[in-house]
Amino acid sequence: MAATTKSRKYVYIAAAVIILAIIGVFLYQYLTPPPPAAPTPPQPAAPTPPQKVKLVVIGPWAGDEAKYFQAVIDEYVKKHPNVEIEYRTMRAEDVAATMPVQFAAGTAPGDVIFGWAWFIAKMGKEGHLVDLTNVINEKEYVPGIVDAVKADGKIWGAPFTMWLKPGFWYRKSFFEKYGLTEPKSYSEFVQLLEKIKGIPGIKNPIATGDGVGWPMSDVTEHFIIAYGGPQMQLDLISGKVRFTDPRVRSVFSDYLVPLLQKGYFSEPIEWTTVIPKWWAGEYALYFMGTWITGMVEDPNDLDFFPLPESKGVVGGADYAFIPKYSKNIDAAIDFIKYLATEGQGVHASVPSGKIPTWTKVPVSQLWKPMQSVYTKITQRGMAILPDLDDSIGGDWQKLFWDQLKLLWVNPGALDSVLKTLEASQPKP
Amino acid sequence: MKIKGIKDLVIFLGPPLAILAIFVFYPILGTIIISFLSGSSFTFENYRAVLFETIPLKALIVANPGPYPPWGALVHNAVWIVIAVPTVVLLGMVLAYTLRKIFGSSIVLGIIFLGMVLPGVVSGLIIRFMFDGYIGIFPRIFSLFNIPLLSSTWTIYPETALFALILGSIWLWLGFSVTLYSAGLDSIPSSLIEAALIDGASEREIFTKIIVPQLKPVTIVVTLMTVMWILKIFDIVYVVTGGGPGGASTVLALIMYMYFASALEHNKAAAVAVILAALTLIPAYWYIRMVLSGEKL
Repeated sequence: MAATTKSRKYVYIAAAVIILAIIGVFLYQYLTPPPPAAPTPPQPAAPTPPQKVKLVVIGPWAGDEAKYFQAVIDEYVKKHPNVEIEYRTMRAEDVAATMPVQFAAGTAPGDVIFGWAWFIAKMGKEGHLVDLTNVINEKEYVPGIVDAVKADGKIWGAPFTMWLKPGFWYRKSFFEKYGLTEPKSYSEFVQLLEKIKGIPGIKNPIATGDGVGWPMSDVTEHFIIAYGGPQMQLDLISGKVRFTDPRVRSVFSDYLVPLLQKGYFSEPIEWTTVIPKWWAGEYALYFMGTWITGMVEDPNDLDFFPLPESKGVVGGADYAFIPKYSKNIDAAIDFIKYLATEGQGVHASVPSGKIPTWTKVPVSQLWKPMQSVYTKITQRGMAILPDLDDSIGGDWQKLFWDQLKLLWVNPGALDSVLKTLEASQPKP
Repeated sequence: MKIKGIKDLVIFLGPPLAILAIFVFYPILGTIIISFLSGSSFTFENYRAVLFETIPLKALIVANPGPYPPWGALVHNAVWIVIAVPTVVLLGMVLAYTLRKIFGSSIVLGIIFLGMVLPGVVSGLIIRFMFDGYIGIFPRIFSLFNIPLLSSTWTIYPETALFALILGSIWLWLGFSVTLYSAGLDSIPSSLIEAALIDGASEREIFTKIIVPQLKPVTIVVTLMTVMWILKIFDIVYVVTGGGPGGASTVLALIMYMYFASALEHNKAAAVAVILAALTLIPAYWYIRMVLSGEKL
């Protein structure tokens, strides 16, 4: 009995020592300030490595979209047979969730990784990424597109191809069949919706895409740009204009909310599953990005119109970065330079629904349906503006999506929604 | 003898303790310490901040005042427990008892158990379909009674999103409950029921006066395990509603994820994790106590 008590005592002592040791180690590691990150010198474009190297590239594309990106990789590998590239799919949300912890441990799961612009700028600022200032020639890109990945005067990410969210897509054959035309003013737009509502088989004139919530934010931003002006979009991003501002409220209350109240928009439906329903004529219009061109049965039957008063469209690029912890930094720099330049031409020439941000790619190289989209936008002289929620990012982005979901099913909650968004909106 | 005892202790306890220290104690203690750190000082600031946060997708107690929704994740978890636990217990017991006497019950049991073996993401997608306004079984049923709100897609309305998740979770967890009750029923001596029958007891009396009391240990296990499961529920909420709309269906584990993955506020995420773990420890304590006392409660 006494021996058992003694044994127990030893166990308790051993456990206490272990726990204290753990606490000690942890506190030491956590509270000791890390050595200042060695500044990464601006990287010149690296020559192709002479020996065989393997690069792990992480991007958000899966399915057909991955196939189109694979075409870009294949083209590079054809010219660089000593480079093997393994592509892995990871959503931008997961990149933002998992990478900071890995970076803190001094590791990275890939050599070239695609992520949100705000995340890249943040990680660059914290010293986890390779400085690409000498790799990316800012003057060769769509104005403003590189700004999103700049921090402390350095460029931390390489812009890849760009999507646009130009307006409401429709089937030309549907419009012809019912004698519908593109509207020239907001009142004509409302008349068009009313006309569509009366067509047999139509559930709602406009299909609302859902998912994590971004399709509703795209529609909302289009209304902000059209009826608040492109500057309002930029000022909301910077925080100079607040969501409770009467001018912002009037965009919602005078233009968007009345359409929601009249049932012109459908309930939010998962954004990919609604495509066949829209195509089959259950809905007439669908607000989506240019990637829709690669997702429909016949892209030649596809056309779009922006809100008539709109002077701009939202456009955004995918951005890639190189973690400082990559074991093949030179090869990664060469590949990222290709992605940011010639690789964009390859990606835009396949049905990816994207256009290049690198201005040296000729329009003739674009996939045919995208050529007409691009021409229509440029003919209207519309400015390309940054995406509101992508630019702000973080948990505000999720809040924005969530509050818009609420607004869609309960338009009466407008003031509460705007107040909630304003409360968390970053200040200038 | 004394030295041999110490040696034995080191040999037998050393390796498992080392593994536990690295993979269990270290992360737990690390999380607790992080939750109290704000900058380089020890403080309750993270706990204060997460408990009184009012942004709808991060609120634990009360969300930002507005028409929808007034409550935060802790309240949602509590509502979930209040509805799901009695339902899982009652349905599990009744189904296990009833299905024993029906031919082909193993097929029905298999279907019920399906929810348990499906990955969380797949279960979430199925729940989405179950409550979809066009194809979902629940909205279809309520459309027959002409109830507009319940005939629409439940997961997109703040009034119904949480209840869709709760009902979905009941289906998922029912398999566990039915399985345990089936095993419990097998362990009841048939002589007890035979004696009751000879004494002229009715089916209802046998069920309420013999079966239910005999199944008490199983009921306690099902209750405690269900409470623990609900407290840490994440996957189906993430897939089906993401905590929305308007924060109407947030749960503790999702808030922890929001702090960790979206806001990159790891200290606050650790604080929520500690709160979650502390709440889970309450039923876990009772469960362990029951197991250690030989299920004699």
